Amino acid sequence: MKLCVNEACQGHGRCYTLAPQLLSSDDEGFVTIRGGDPIDVPDDLRELAEEVEGTCPESAISLIDA
Amino acid sequence: MGAYWALANELRESCPYFYNKYSGGGYWVFTRHDAVNDIYKTPEIFSSASITPWEPDPIYRFVPTQVDAPDHIKYRRILNPWFSPKAMEAAAPMIRETCRGFIEPIVPKGKCDFYEAFALRFPTAAFLTVIGVPTSYTDVFVGWVDAFFGGFGGDPEGAAGMATALGEMRVFWTEQLADRRRDGHREGDLFSYLLDARFDDEPLDDEVLLDMCTVLTLAGLDTTRAELAYMFHHLALHPEHRQRLIEDPEIIPLAVEETLRYYTIIFGDGRKVTRDVEFHGVQLKKGDMVYGLVSGANRDPRHWEQADEFVIDRKRNNHFGFASGPHRCLGMHLARREMAIAVDEWLKVIPDFELDSDAQLFERGGGAMMSLSTLPLRWDVNS
Repeated sequence: MKLCVNEACQGHGRCYTLAPQLLSSDDEGFVTIRGGDPIDVPDDLRELAEEVEGTCPESAISLIDA
Repeated sequence: MGAYWALANELRESCPYFYNKYSGGGYWVFTRHDAVNDIYKTPEIFSSASITPWEPDPIYRFVPTQVDAPDHIKYRRILNPWFSPKAMEAAAPMIRETCRGFIEPIVPKGKCDFYEAFALRFPTAAFLTVIGVPTSYTDVFVGWVDAFFGGFGGDPEGAAGMATALGEMRVFWTEQLADRRRDGHREGDLFSYLLDARFDDEPLDDEVLLDMCTVLTLAGLDTTRAELAYMFHHLALHPEHRQRLIEDPEIIPLAVEETLRYYTIIFGDGRKVTRDVEFHGVQLKKGDMVYGLVSGANRDPRHWEQADEFVIDRKRNNHFGFASGPHRCLGMHLARREMAIAVDEWLKVIPDFELDSDAQLFERGGGAMMSLSTLPLRWDVNS
C-alpha cells in the first residue's frame, strides 16, 4: 500500500498526529509529503493508514493498493 | 445548555437549506455536511470578505481571515510558522508552566467557577506568552475580548462596547509596534517578527499589522476558553472518561478533537457569494450571504457513525471545528495543545470532580461563538 497527500492539504495536522511513524510536518504545519510522491505503507500500518485517510478534513489523503 | 446543538440537529434534519430573514436583510443557511464541505472547498465562489452573514459589510477587517486568494496565502505563509506544530512543541513547556500556575492555587479550595478561574485566564496567558507580551496583561485582554463579543452577535446594546474595545486594542498594538521600532527587536516576540516580515518584498503596512494583531487576539482567546469549558463540563459528568484519560493519556489529543466535533462552538460560518451559481438546489446570486451550519455538519448522521455520541478515542475525525479549506484556523495547533495540557495537568491533581450546582447552566451562542457563562465545579480536598 502507498499513501499520498495532494495539495488540498491545509496543515490541519491530524494525519501526522495520528501516525507519527508515517508522516511529519514542515515548518508551516503542512505534511512534508504534500503534493509530492506517494510513500510506502508497511503492512503492519495498513489499518492505521486507513484511519489517517479518514481523518483529513480536506480529503487530501489517498491510499493506493499496491 | 445544549439547546443550540439540539436546534442545529433539528434544522439539519428538517431541511438541507432555508432562507433566514432579519430586518434589512437575510441569508441562506446550509445545514448538512455535504454543503458545508463544498462551501469550504470552493473559496473562489464563497468569499471570506464577510464571515458573518448578518453583517455583509462589517466595520472591521480581519487579516488574513477576510482576505481571499491570491493575497490570503501570502499572509498565511507569514503567520503559519509562528503557530506551527513545531513552534507549539517548543512553547509547550512554557504553556504547561503557565497552566500549572493557574491550577495550583485552585486545588486546595475544593471548588471553583472553572470558567472564571481557569478557562478565561489560562488561554489568554498562554497566548500572550506565545506572542511575547507579558502575562500581566491577561485581565486587560480578557476585558477587551468580552466587550468585543458582546457586540459580535448583532446585539445593538453591545455595539458601543465592541467599538470601544476595538479602539483600545488598536492603541495597545500601535504602542507595542512603536516600542519595537524604537528599542529594537526582541527574541520570541511576534511584533518583531511581523515588522521583519515581507509581503511581495515589501514590509507590512501599519493598518495590516493592526488588523492581524486584532484578529489573532479575538480568534485566539474567546474560542479556546469556550471549548475548554465544554470539555470540562463533559468530564465533570463522565467519570468513566476521566478515568480513561488518566489511564491512557496518549488519547487526550483524540479526546480534544472529539470535543471540537461534538461540542462545536462555531455554530456556523458565513461566506459571501462571488457570482451567480446553482448550489445544492439553491440559485444563489452574487452578493448573497450564506451560512454553513458547522454545528449541524459536525453531527450529521449522513457523514458520521455514532454522530450524536461522544466517542472519546474517535480516530477518523475530519470535523470542521477549526473550519476547512484555505482559512482553516491558524491557531489550531496552539488551541489543541492548550486543551491537551489543561486536561493532563488538571487530572493529575484533581482526578475526580463534579458539577457544583443542580441549576441549569446557561450558554450564549447561535450567532457568534458559543460559550458557557459559568461552570461551577467541586472536588474533595485531601487534608
